[in-house]
Amino acid sequence: MKDIIEIKNLNKNYVGGTHALKDINLNIKEGEFCILLGLSGSGKTTLLRCLNRLIEPTSGEIHFDGEDIIVAEGQKLRLIRRKIGMIFQQFNLIKNLSSLTNVLTGKLGYLSLLYSLALSKNKTDVKIALGNLQRVGLKDFAENKIKNLSGGEQQRVAIARALMQNPKVILADEPVASLDPATADSVMRYLGELNKKDKITIICSLHFLSLARKYGTRVVGLKDGEIVFDGTPKEIDKKRFKEIYGEDAEAVEIR
Amino acid sequence: MKKDNKLKLNLQAILTDLLIWIYISGCISFLLNRWFEVVIPSVHIVIYGSVISIIVIMCGISIGRKLFLPTKRTNNKWFKTFWGWSIVLILLITFIVGWIMVEVNPYKFFTKFKNAGGIISGIFDPNLDLLLVSLAALAETIYLALLATIFAIPFAFFLSFFAARNLMPKTLTGNTIYIIIRSFATVFRSIEAIVWAIIFSVWVGIGPFAGMLALMIHSIAALTKLYSEQIESIDPGPVEAIKATGANSLQIWVFGVVPQIISPFLAFTIYRWDINVRMATIVGFVGGGGIGLLLLQQQQLLRWHNVGMIIWLIAIVVWIMDMVSAKVREKLQEM
Repeated sequence: MKDIIEIKNLNKNYVGGTHALKDINLNIKEGEFCILLGLSGSGKTTLLRCLNRLIEPTSGEIHFDGEDIIVAEGQKLRLIRRKIGMIFQQFNLIKNLSSLTNVLTGKLGYLSLLYSLALSKNKTDVKIALGNLQRVGLKDFAENKIKNLSGGEQQRVAIARALMQNPKVILADEPVASLDPATADSVMRYLGELNKKDKITIICSLHFLSLARKYGTRVVGLKDGEIVFDGTPKEIDKKRFKEIYGEDAEAVEIR
Repeated sequence: MKKDNKLKLNLQAILTDLLIWIYISGCISFLLNRWFEVVIPSVHIVIYGSVISIIVIMCGISIGRKLFLPTKRTNNKWFKTFWGWSIVLILLITFIVGWIMVEVNPYKFFTKFKNAGGIISGIFDPNLDLLLVSLAALAETIYLALLATIFAIPFAFFLSFFAARNLMPKTLTGNTIYIIIRSFATVFRSIEAIVWAIIFSVWVGIGPFAGMLALMIHSIAALTKLYSEQIESIDPGPVEAIKATGANSLQIWVFGVVPQIISPFLAFTIYRWDINVRMATIVGFVGGGGIGLLLLQQQQLLRWHNVGMIIWLIAIVVWIMDMVSAKVREKLQEM
């Protein structure tokens, strides 16, 4: 399998002096389900946001599907972004709009402003959006406002929105951190299905080792902005876990 | 502690004490003037105040020293210290001067009640013959308030985006625009609508149009502030998410920002209309037309039964507006 994302010597310094990423070198293969593990503040979020330039890296190179993300500007950057879906810990949906409209916003990267104003009038797009809602088991919730949905349902709408982009890669920034264990597993199951059936590459930061073992094909451990582990989920034993999370850490199991 | 810092603190302490004691000596001379008709030249007031403050500072017992300079920790209760009694003196003397200046007179309040008999009987026995005329004037007031609000909306909507910290780029131009619009909004809002009404009643002549212009200026400033604060408090999450889909800047505004602000904007606008109806009455007094002008005329003719009629109508309309706007805003919040 070829590399879909290549990261070379990536650095990020925040104003104020935090060195969030230190010379990260990482290649993600097409079709991988890559889990990022690490403490809060270890650089997971920064790394994910650098990949679609929601955060500007300080130095280094990132290639996505052969294209240089770092130098892309304007239209070119947007064309790259639309091939990278993203889901967030806080779901980041527009709360007073319906699920369907929220899913349709995933199409914005494909539309000019004029067409996007008639977003919900385009029959083909609405059909695709309804199909995506059905995939995450929310077909009957299309007209419901987001604020009337539960956390798990909201995250599934967010997945449907990402699907609308027809993405090659989905970045998931702690997608289950605000959900209860059972809901967390169901959301991860949908991501796993996209990975297996649609061959979408997934890069997902997590806190639960059990979920990493269940769904991940690869685990990358971050600590203080550096990669301290890179291997398969099976290879993470107690010793490795402590390398990532520090001496005092104990894994919390969720099933 | 740095040396220049210490100097600055010393200066602040001395200045505070100077102001305090000049104020106290000013107050005392005001009282002497009122009670004993003694005239003390203002230069003397400043000199007495300064002398006392210098003595107090030298003795190290002043308020300024207590506020700005490190003092030895003593466990003295405040009433055992000089600065404690200085504060008591300031409060006491301020109260006495205030009482005399405002001409507080409880005796008058309780014994001269029957002077207000005319207006009170007018309220309980309003002149119903004036109903139609008053209603026409009232309609004028409501419509002028409505138009003032409607005309203010586009200006405020446009300006508010440039007055929102989170949307303006952190560049020199961005900051300048932000600061200019914000300051204009603050200044124009702090000038009362009544002042604008005086200006416009000269400009376009006495009547509802002047009143509308006055309320419009005031509404633009007020709505710009409210709108932009609403924009500043939006959830940045959806904006980020829309950006991540590959949307361009305009699409991010239309889909990330606007849906989050539309219903609070409507709520603010309706609230503003409500306020404008109330203000329109006052504005009418200084030449802004409508029911306020009618009220002024009837009051000057001492036709208390007509005044009573108008007061009833104003009260009823304000009450209804208040209720309706509260209900509508409640509904908007659920949206």
